[in-house]
Amino acid sequence: MPTLLELQRDMCAGLIEREVGSIALSFADGVGADRLEIYRNTIVSGLTKALRLAFPAVERLVGGEFFEGTADAFTAEYPPRAAYLDQYGAEFPDFLSRFPPSLSYLADVARLEWAINCALHAPDEAPLELSQLAALAPEDQCCISFRAHPSVGLVRSDFPVDGIWRAVLSGDDQAMAALDLAAGPVFLLVERGEAGFEVTRMKKSEWEFVEALCRGEPLLSAIDPAADFDPSSLLAEHLAHGRFVAFALDASDVKASPRIAGG
Amino acid sequence: MSPTAKQASLIPAKAGIGLRFQHHQSVIDTQPDVAWMEVHTENYMGGGTALRYLDVIRREVPISLHGVGLSLGSAEGLNPAHLERIRQVAERIEPGLMSEHVAWSVVDGVYLADLLPLPMTEEALDVVCRHVDQMQSYLRRRILVENPSTYVTFRHSTIPEWEFMTAVAARTGCGILCDVNNIYVSTQNHGWDLSAYLAGLPPAAIGEIHLAGHAVRQLPDGRTLRIDDHASSVIPEVWALYQEALARFGPVPTLIEWDNNVPPLDTLLKEARQAECLIAAADNKEAAHADAA
Repeated sequence: MPTLLELQRDMCAGLIEREVGSIALSFADGVGADRLEIYRNTIVSGLTKALRLAFPAVERLVGGEFFEGTADAFTAEYPPRAAYLDQYGAEFPDFLSRFPPSLSYLADVARLEWAINCALHAPDEAPLELSQLAALAPEDQCCISFRAHPSVGLVRSDFPVDGIWRAVLSGDDQAMAALDLAAGPVFLLVERGEAGFEVTRMKKSEWEFVEALCRGEPLLSAIDPAADFDPSSLLAEHLAHGRFVAFALDASDVKASPRIAGG
Repeated sequence: MSPTAKQASLIPAKAGIGLRFQHHQSVIDTQPDVAWMEVHTENYMGGGTALRYLDVIRREVPISLHGVGLSLGSAEGLNPAHLERIRQVAERIEPGLMSEHVAWSVVDGVYLADLLPLPMTEEALDVVCRHVDQMQSYLRRRILVENPSTYVTFRHSTIPEWEFMTAVAARTGCGILCDVNNIYVSTQNHGWDLSAYLAGLPPAAIGEIHLAGHAVRQLPDGRTLRIDDHASSVIPEVWALYQEALARFGPVPTLIEWDNNVPPLDTLLKEARQAECLIAAADNKEAAHADAA
C-alpha cells in the first residue's frame, strides 16, 4: 500500500509524464488507467486557457491547433509551480523560440505579451511622489536607487513587435503588411495605467536610462553623460506616471524590477 | 442592501451565484437581485482590474471566497506563500464565508491544476485535518470544506467518503460545503448509495450547498462516467437530491456554480431563483413542523 506521498508522486508521473504503470496499481478493481485522461484533460485545458489568455497574439500568429500542441508540450515541460495561474507562462517565450516552425519575431511578440500579462496582474502599489524626493539633501539625490512599480516591464526587440502585436490583435492585415521588419530595434515600456495597460515606444537612450533605474542602479550611474535627453525631466515624467514606488540611498535596500526582456 | 459593513459580509441562507469575470460589468450595471456571490480566491490574487471590480461589487453584495489551489490533501504540507495570498485577499474582501476542497493538487512543488482525488485512508484524513487546522488558525476563522467529485477510487481506501467528510468537520470544527452535484456525480460513478451519503453527513456542520451542471460521457468499455464540468444547467436528478438535502439540513446558503461555457447573467439568476423557491418551501415545511410540535 503506497503512502499518500508515494501515491501523489505516482499520480503526477501518470499525469505529466504519462507513466501510468504505478498509479494504475493503486486504482480500485475495474478502474482503468485511462480514467487518468479525464484529469489530464482538465489540467491541460486549464493551463492552455491560462496561456491563451496571456498570449493571444501568439495564438493568432501560429493558429489555434499549433498553439494547443505547443501549450501541451510546454505544460509537460514546465508545469506550474504556483496555484496562481496569472503568473503562469514566464518561460513560454523562450520555449517558443525552440519550437519549429518559428516566425523570427514570434518569441519577441510573446515577450511583449508576457510583459503585458504581468502589468495586468501585478499587485497594486502606491507610487512614489516627487515631493518625497525633495526632502533629500542635494548631495544624496544622485546616489539614490529606485524600485519600479511591479506593473512596469521593459522589452527590447530587433523587430517592431509592438506594431506586429497591434496589427495581429486587431486583425489588420494592411497594417501588418506595411510593417518594415528590418527597420531596426524597438525599445518598449509596458505598464498598467488608469485605463488598463499601456505600451510605449521609447528612444534607445531613454529606455536604457529607465532600464538601469529599474535594475536598481543608483541615479548617477544610470545617467549617461553623453545622453541626448534631460535626465531630471525624464525622471520627473517617470515619477508622474507612477513608475516607481520606493527609493533608498543604499541600492541593496530596493528590490530591482524582475522583468526586463529581450536581447 | 448593506445597512452596515458587518451585516453585509454575512452570507444569508439564500441562493447566490458564482461571479465570473465576464459578468463583472453587467453586475455593476444592472445590480441584480441576488442575495450573495462567490468568487474563486485565486482569481483575485493580483492587483488591477479584477480586484477593483470586486471592491465595488462587494459594497452591495456579500461575497464568499472559494479557494481552488491550497491543496489541503497534499502530503508535503501547505504552501505558506499561497496561504498568505489567501489571507491577503480575505483581508481586502472581508468575505462572509471561506471554503476549500477535500482534494489535492500539489506534489513536489508542482501544481497539477485540478482537484485530484484522495485515497480515503486514515493517513489522508490526518493530513487533511492537520491542514484544515493550519488554515483556520492562520486565517483566524472557521472555514468550510467541500466534498469532491471523483472519477477514480483507490484500492486501499477504507473510509466511506461521507464518513471522511464528517470526521474532518468533527476533528477540526470546520463546516462542510455540501456539493450536491458532486455527491450525485461520485455516487453514480462509483455505484455508491445516494441516500446513504446524504444521511451520513452531520446536518449541523453543513454551512453551504453547491449546485452545478455536469456532463455524461460514454467510456470505451460501454460504461457511463459523469464529469463535473460546471458547463450546463443543474439536472432534475440533482434538483431532487437538493430538495432531499434541504429537508435534512434546513435552509442553507446555496450557490449556482457555472465555470465553463458561462451563460448570460440572467440564466444564472434564473437558476438561483429556482433554488430560492426550494429553500423557501423547505423553510415553510420546517416552520409547519415546528408549529405542529
